[in-house]
Amino acid sequence: MGESAVTVGAMHGAPMEPSPYAMQSKKLAMWLFIIADAATFGAILFAYGYLRVANPDWTRPFEFAPTIVNAIMMTVVLLTSSLTMVGAVRSAQAARKSASAGWLGVTLALGLVFTVLLLREWYVMIGAGWRLSRNPMGGSVLFGATFFGITGLHLVHVIAGVVALAVVAIKFNRDRLDAGHVETTGLYWHFVNVVQMFVFPLVYLMNAR
Amino acid sequence: MAEARQSADMKPYVVVWFGLILVVTVEVLLTYQHLPAGRLLTALLVLAFVGAGLGVMYFMRLKDERPLLLWSLIPYLLFALFMMDHIWPDALRLMHQRLPTP
Repeated sequence: MGESAVTVGAMHGAPMEPSPYAMQSKKLAMWLFIIADAATFGAILFAYGYLRVANPDWTRPFEFAPTIVNAIMMTVVLLTSSLTMVGAVRSAQAARKSASAGWLGVTLALGLVFTVLLLREWYVMIGAGWRLSRNPMGGSVLFGATFFGITGLHLVHVIAGVVALAVVAIKFNRDRLDAGHVETTGLYWHFVNVVQMFVFPLVYLMNAR
Repeated sequence: MAEARQSADMKPYVVVWFGLILVVTVEVLLTYQHLPAGRLLTALLVLAFVGAGLGVMYFMRLKDERPLLLWSLIPYLLFALFMMDHIWPDALRLMHQRLPTP
């Protein structure tokens, strides 16, 4: 490889070196972000665990129907969206733009379904008197803080992912982004769904009646 | 022909999806077995890590990347999570302290 090919686009005196991970920079950056975000979610779940163990009057308010059933539906919806995201990435890598855009659209729709299900659950809980600092059942007020905090943080990530999916789907269809962008967005989406694998048992099932 | 190849490519991921649904099913069934809290928590955490591992290795395709990536990322995360475990003695102290309600 000629030196000019190595240094095209580089700053003066800075030759480009191949990545030791043999991947595009944006993909490596996404992996690094995912690990940092995983530590963040780990910290908030540890904080929830600490508060729960330290408070003897912890409330366990979730009935099987409708709350646990709703949580199961949310989890299955997100897991299915991971499967459709795989379809989108593989279609993009096979240069099948319209198929990839279709898969991305289905993934985005499933993300919106999750959002609606969670917001509906929040609406019912707030209507029953739950707040960040209020427990209508008389137990520890920290239940509301941890529940809304953890599910809210996850919801923000899901909504950000939905927006990213829409942008990538439109721009990939117009050849302004490539398959690498679809794959990188897919990494983020799968991470958000992996987080649900911890939120569901720790926040919902451990608080089931 | 292209569709047949695509569906064959998706087959491993469909299998992983069924595995994750199975993990969720087992978690729900265990929850209603009236297990002691500690045992239930341990079982749910193990299942959560199994599900997360399947998602990371297959959906995120970490198993297809260079081993250097896995060794660069995962040990740090496990170390950070392990260090957070130092909060439990204080939580258990507060649990046993049982201050009266103000």
